[in-house]
Amino acid sequence: MTASRLRGVQESLHTYLLGEGDASAVRDAIVDDARVGAERRLKIYHDAYRLRLIEALSKAYPNLFRLLGDALFERMARSYIAAHPSGYRNLRWYGGELAEHLAAALPQHPIAGELARFEWTLALAFDSTDAPVLGGADLAAVPPEDWGRLRFALHPSARVLDMKLNTVAVWKALDEDRAPPPIEETASAWLIWRKELNPHYRSLDPGERASLTLIANGACFAEVCEALNGDEAESDAAARAAGFLAAWLGDGLLSRL
Amino acid sequence: MRHAPAFPTDSLMTHATPAGLPFLGFGLGLRPPHYHAILDTRPAVDWFEILSENYLVPGGKPLHFLDRIRADYPMAMHGVSLSIGSTDDLDFDYLRDLKALAERVEPAWISDHLCWTGVHGGNTHDLLPLPYTEETARHVAARVSVVQEFLGRRILLENVSSYASYADSSLSEWEFITLVSELADCLLLLDVNNIYVSAFNHGFDARAFIDGVPAHRVQQIHLAGHHNHGDYIIDTHDAPIIDPVWELYDYALARLGPVSSMIERDDHIPELAELVDELAIARRLAAPYLAQERAA
Repeated sequence: MTASRLRGVQESLHTYLLGEGDASAVRDAIVDDARVGAERRLKIYHDAYRLRLIEALSKAYPNLFRLLGDALFERMARSYIAAHPSGYRNLRWYGGELAEHLAAALPQHPIAGELARFEWTLALAFDSTDAPVLGGADLAAVPPEDWGRLRFALHPSARVLDMKLNTVAVWKALDEDRAPPPIEETASAWLIWRKELNPHYRSLDPGERASLTLIANGACFAEVCEALNGDEAESDAAARAAGFLAAWLGDGLLSRL
Repeated sequence: MRHAPAFPTDSLMTHATPAGLPFLGFGLGLRPPHYHAILDTRPAVDWFEILSENYLVPGGKPLHFLDRIRADYPMAMHGVSLSIGSTDDLDFDYLRDLKALAERVEPAWISDHLCWTGVHGGNTHDLLPLPYTEETARHVAARVSVVQEFLGRRILLENVSSYASYADSSLSEWEFITLVSELADCLLLLDVNNIYVSAFNHGFDARAFIDGVPAHRVQQIHLAGHHNHGDYIIDTHDAPIIDPVWELYDYALARLGPVSSMIERDDHIPELAELVDELAIARRLAAPYLAQERAA
């Protein structure tokens, strides 16, 4: 068996596993027998490939699975698998484009894509990079007149998601095994991050969302106060910014000065 | 951080195996549902085998618990995506990640499967069998040598469960494994359940397989449950080990002497205590061989 023959056998088997089940190009490479037969032997692998990826998706998206139910989830998973062969060494990363896939495949149910995006972002927070967390004491060491010059780094797990629907309320109900509320259009912003070892989420008002975006882009604290100034009286802006900062410290959201 | 020694230091474990690596005793696969039970109850498990890929993540809970449990237990690293038999180039990004994880874990050894998982950069996430030919063995062995050089240690390769075989195969699976391991000077992880499954699926004699592998290279044994579909068996790791597999384990120990052994359970994962009880069967079966070894 030459190297090119081995290559050819692997290519035709891999193509068969990813395809819709036509074994004609690979059947002759497989030993046939009376008890099971080459085609059924190949089909064991063909089925297992899909079942393994469907299971991986259902574990990555447990509440999407509850939302869609077995049959629709499986249909969506199969169409995703057909469109997205895995190139990942670790199955944990498989499924990252499911939200976009659902937006296109289920345009009549935009909740599915939003919920998938929320669930995937929670999973990213779960095992994202570790980083030190700033506490009140770290800030207390800085004289108040220097706060304006401070630049913070957000914890690497922190992400902001904008939602068009009441997706988080639906996710929470599913997560608690309750009937989800009716789906409503309501624009909201959400912060997702890891606190200690677990993913957390909470809503963001527009001012805090804008402030966090500035911090994430490397702005100093004075610039955050200044941006808030555009919206309200100066003293209110400073107080709001200080309030945000206290909340971020309490949330373990800042990892560096 | 502080680690437990890479191998147990109590008197039971003093003998060195022919391969020169430590005898770890009787272990379990480390699975997330058991993290708290392990830390809270410190079960009588000699060592844990981790699935390397589960810890090739940036941070958070997996690595947190890995470090804490490693502080108390020896570990081995077991991978599923080396794809040593693929005709794609070796994935050095993966190998770099694996090496970094090994620096963190300081495992007693690193293993993966004698299989391929895909071509053209794709991953089927399955352990696909290889055609058993001399040319394939040479192809695989050359890659094992590169991996061993890169990791700075010999690796263990595991026999997989298979459901199909190739018309091109000219060797038995055990002849193939022997050839690869001798050409590459690597070690073996003998999965006794996989031998049972493949023997059933392909109609060969499981004992001939065990008789046919180079005993001095067998560093570890895997045990697991499977699902019998009547005319074929699927390796599922979702059930207790059946008696015929225990009998085969006993047969393997009779030939090989005591070998570090562990139970894999990946689905329908029961309470930790249930697996510790199942592991006691392995200890009981191995006891006479350990006694023989001590006497010798």
